[in-house]
Amino acid sequence: MSFQKRLASGEFMVLAEMNTPKGVDISQLITNARRIKGRVDAVVVPDMDNGVMRMSALAGGVLMQQQGIEAVIHIYCRDRNRLALQGDILAAHVLGIQNLVVANSEEMANGDHRDAKPVNDLDELGLLQAVASLQKGVDLAGFELEGAPSFTTGSTIASFANDAAMAAALALAKKKVDAGARFIITPPVFDVERFSHFLSEAKVLGVPIIATIFLIKSVGIARYIALNEPGAGLSEGLIQRIRKASDRENECLKIAGETIAALKGKVAGVKIETHGWEHRLASILDYAQL
Amino acid sequence: MITAERKPLAEIIDSIDGCRRIVLAGCNECVTVCAAGGRKEVAMLASALQMDFMKRGKTLEIHEMTLERQCDPEYVEQLAPFIDQVDAVVSMACGCGVQEVVRRFKSKRVYPAVNTKFMGASERPGVWAERCHGCGNCLLGLTGGICPIARCSKRLMNGPCGGSSKGHCEISNDVDCVWQLIWDRMKELGIEARYEDVIMAKDWSTERGGGPRKIVREDLQ
Repeated sequence: MSFQKRLASGEFMVLAEMNTPKGVDISQLITNARRIKGRVDAVVVPDMDNGVMRMSALAGGVLMQQQGIEAVIHIYCRDRNRLALQGDILAAHVLGIQNLVVANSEEMANGDHRDAKPVNDLDELGLLQAVASLQKGVDLAGFELEGAPSFTTGSTIASFANDAAMAAALALAKKKVDAGARFIITPPVFDVERFSHFLSEAKVLGVPIIATIFLIKSVGIARYIALNEPGAGLSEGLIQRIRKASDRENECLKIAGETIAALKGKVAGVKIETHGWEHRLASILDYAQL
Repeated sequence: MITAERKPLAEIIDSIDGCRRIVLAGCNECVTVCAAGGRKEVAMLASALQMDFMKRGKTLEIHEMTLERQCDPEYVEQLAPFIDQVDAVVSMACGCGVQEVVRRFKSKRVYPAVNTKFMGASERPGVWAERCHGCGNCLLGLTGGICPIARCSKRLMNGPCGGSSKGHCEISNDVDCVWQLIWDRMKELGIEARYEDVIMAKDWSTERGGGPRKIVREDLQ
């Protein structure tokens, strides 16, 4: 079943994130993708939205499609103006990409090309409007297209540390939905109970919610997130659970799997981020009993 | 100087239509020099606003002020005695001045009456042209004192494109080809050899790559 149909059916969806290489050696990407083929509904391919120069998501998405795996690719505004974005969106359709995520992008100063010039010609709402316009067969300058693309397009909601910030994040996400986002991906979920409160508030969005599962890979990473992301809700108890485990790596995989299992029935699906541990995705899915 | 042009009257009226009393605040610096928001322009805009309100059977009380520098808190403070008596401030300063008034008077509505354009110079009476982009990493020393970032349509750093014709840019005969100007200047100075120097990919982190910019001088704090 395609991502679009699964989204409409309400069946639980499992998406796995896979980054393209910083270079042209795609062997690891292909191997990792083959390992989970048939076990996930689609692979999400980020672009350079985290500020690190790498092979474009468009190429990564096409590689996934070539492997028989449906792709969802990120598009974002920091590095391309409206011409380049629209051109790539048309190219994506022609190359078989059916799903887009309009993503936020990291500040240039936090990336690996700090001397680059940010573009930010459009913002996320502008980009969603561009996708919507292209689908109607008209570009942002009002010119008619020779053949219109079609996509299932979603976007993200920002993290929040308190109820006021959550209300602001939901207000912006609602604007994105009104501009054409047909699903919303949340920030990483570490505390399902806390997340349930958000989910009840997020009903106002009226679109499927996909929760991000962030694989914690070490006590150090857990502590970093707990310290620097007050909105993450990563508890000291979780840190201690990893610290005291005899096999910490395995415990991290287990935590991710358990979080997915706990979210089943509460959200439309999950997107699993493993950040370099894509080869461990199968273990996470085992722990999630998927 | 920072250049500006007055907004269309209809746009200014639209922003203050619900107001009965305003301060119309000009600035004695850049916008005075480029004839967009100095004392004279404040008086002209005040008359135009009042005429429009009168024609529509409304009244608008305008307190005209032209501050020495609207981007300087010391002078913005001069608005304080009048601020509680008005519904809004209409600023004829550049965007820096508008925001300094906003920073000082947090509960007061402030509307811009000019569009801030660019950092430029007066070429001849009535003509101002862009000269500096504020990239934060000046390369005028490499380009004969003429800036390709501010003055080349494509921001080319190593010579003209194919659209340079008889000293003009292809976008308009009113626009000089900056690389023609740079070449002529280098020849004049006898430093043509410098033209061969390659300017590598520019570091834009000093522009907006590093986010909104700030200068901090500890010796002056």
